[in-house]
Amino acid sequence: MSKYFANIYDTVNTLWTGMRITWRHMMNIKRDNVTLQYPEERWPRPERNIGFEHEDYNVIRSRLHVDIDDCIGCLKCERACPVDCIKIDTIKAPTRGEDIPDVKHTGETSNGTKKAMVVSRFTIDMSECCYCNLCTYPCPEECIFMVGGPNSSKHPIDYEFSEFDRTDLIYQFAKKLSPEQKDGLQNPKPEAEA
Amino acid sequence: MGVVKGDQMILNIGPQHPSTHGVLRLEVMTDGEIVSEIRPHLGYLHRCFEKHSENVTYEQVIPFTDRCDYLAAMNSNFGYVVAMEELMEIKVPERVDYIRIIMGELNRIASHLLALGVYGLDIGAFTPFLYMLRDRERILDMFEYTCGARLLYNYMWVGGVSHDLPKDFEKICIGFLDYFEPQIEEYNNLLTYNKIFVERTADVGVIPADVAVSYGVTGPNLRGSGVKWDVRKDEPYSIYDRFEFDVPVGDGHFGTLGDCFDRYWVRMLEIKESVKILRQALKDIPGGDVHQMLPKKIRPPKGSVYRRTESPRGDLGYYIMSDGTPTPYRVKMRSPAFTALSVLDEVSRGWMISDVIAILGSLDIVLGEIDR
Ligand code: SF4
Ligand code: SF4
Repeated sequence: MSKYFANIYDTVNTLWTGMRITWRHMMNIKRDNVTLQYPEERWPRPERNIGFEHEDYNVIRSRLHVDIDDCIGCLKCERACPVDCIKIDTIKAPTRGEDIPDVKHTGETSNGTKKAMVVSRFTIDMSECCYCNLCTYPCPEECIFMVGGPNSSKHPIDYEFSEFDRTDLIYQFAKKLSPEQKDGLQNPKPEAEA
Repeated sequence: MGVVKGDQMILNIGPQHPSTHGVLRLEVMTDGEIVSEIRPHLGYLHRCFEKHSENVTYEQVIPFTDRCDYLAAMNSNFGYVVAMEELMEIKVPERVDYIRIIMGELNRIASHLLALGVYGLDIGAFTPFLYMLRDRERILDMFEYTCGARLLYNYMWVGGVSHDLPKDFEKICIGFLDYFEPQIEEYNNLLTYNKIFVERTADVGVIPADVAVSYGVTGPNLRGSGVKWDVRKDEPYSIYDRFEFDVPVGDGHFGTLGDCFDRYWVRMLEIKESVKILRQALKDIPGGDVHQMLPKKIRPPKGSVYRRTESPRGDLGYYIMSDGTPTPYRVKMRSPAFTALSVLDEVSRGWMISDVIAILGSLDIVLGEIDR
């Protein structure tokens, strides 16, 4: 019998302790508030600039972006990707390091590397990407990166790149080449050589 | 007195059930309200981790290990890289060891917080869950600050870590620990000592030590049964032998040894031990370059290695077989949650349906790791 009442006493007592804690938090709602009204307010993305020799190494995980004018088509990022969501096609440029105005190809990257390849296709399927960041490390030109954070100067943050159609999540970075232009690059005309 | 047999009924719990921590279907044979048998059906989250690993290079396996135990991805990484380093005989710089231990212990706290919070939720206490998730969030913020990702990090690499710690990480982490330690008392007052919670968990679902050992149950579930076995202590990997910490075991705090409450309580005590390790590690962390030992090309010699580590769920073992090419010949993962699930049938026989939820929650399984 006394056990019965002791149980009830324990229950009420421990419940009361718990209620006191929740009450205290409710009274301190200004201080203890940890949520934000999301679409209007957002947490800041952490900024940092340390690590891996380069001063501005990328630590944000977000949408990938490629500065296609800097890309030399070395396929290193494609090989690093564990889920194969980067697809690159390249065509050998007629002369290394020379501009080809009619396909808007620049011969040199901003680092001064001479390009030997014309990138005819560069797609990243962001719906397949697992944001592992493995593709950004091997790039010799540092032209593939995740937007925002330490890279905000290169590309502003793109928080929720939501789309209505899944195919819209396949981002195209290469300049559009028409079939004739591709053909022209692959089989240079004899008179051009002459 | 004979046993009265009621009608047998089969009750399906899951696949989409809030207390199954993933996608698990339980086929529960009941006799009235009493459970007579449980058949877990798994495989809903099967993603071919082991087969897939044979087709990608060694460094590309790491993002997949993240996705096995997604609640403690750092520890999954940790086990893989430790095994790989043993295979390749790499000695990582001290700073890397310290960083790994800091990350591993932080993730252990985060994982246990979620386990305890969700356990409260299963039993019917909603508020502690919110408080624990609030604090877990701060740990995830620290991870985001360190490596950019919040849940699936790909942070530990073979021979190093992907990024050094941010400049003021030590300060932030100490600040967090100072804030966090008093919170543990708050959780205890809110949930652990609550009489209703104790009544739901104490004496329920007792796993005797010999049953736990024979099923291969490891981690907090084994320690809850009173067996003092912790890979960090008994088979130290990395530099765990340098730190001072206790291995908490269940002691039948409110009921029988090895009941649901003991498993819960061991996790709560383990959080405190992790805080202890973190403080020591943050105090003596040396400087250095974290990328010094990164191999140019990961191509281990022919051979195989098995290394187990202590993940928040128990012994996480990796068996890696190399044939000298850049892709592994075989990667096998020993999942602690799988063995924990296997004991469910034996333990829950004779208990009520509502107790099955309490038992399942106390085992703290993650289906991503069971199905792989
Ligand atoms: S982040 Fe990872 S998954 Fe995404 S494109 Fe880069 S390598 Fe592939
Ligand atoms: S690694 Fe960089 S330069 Fe090479 S193909 Fe990829 S984006 Fe272009």
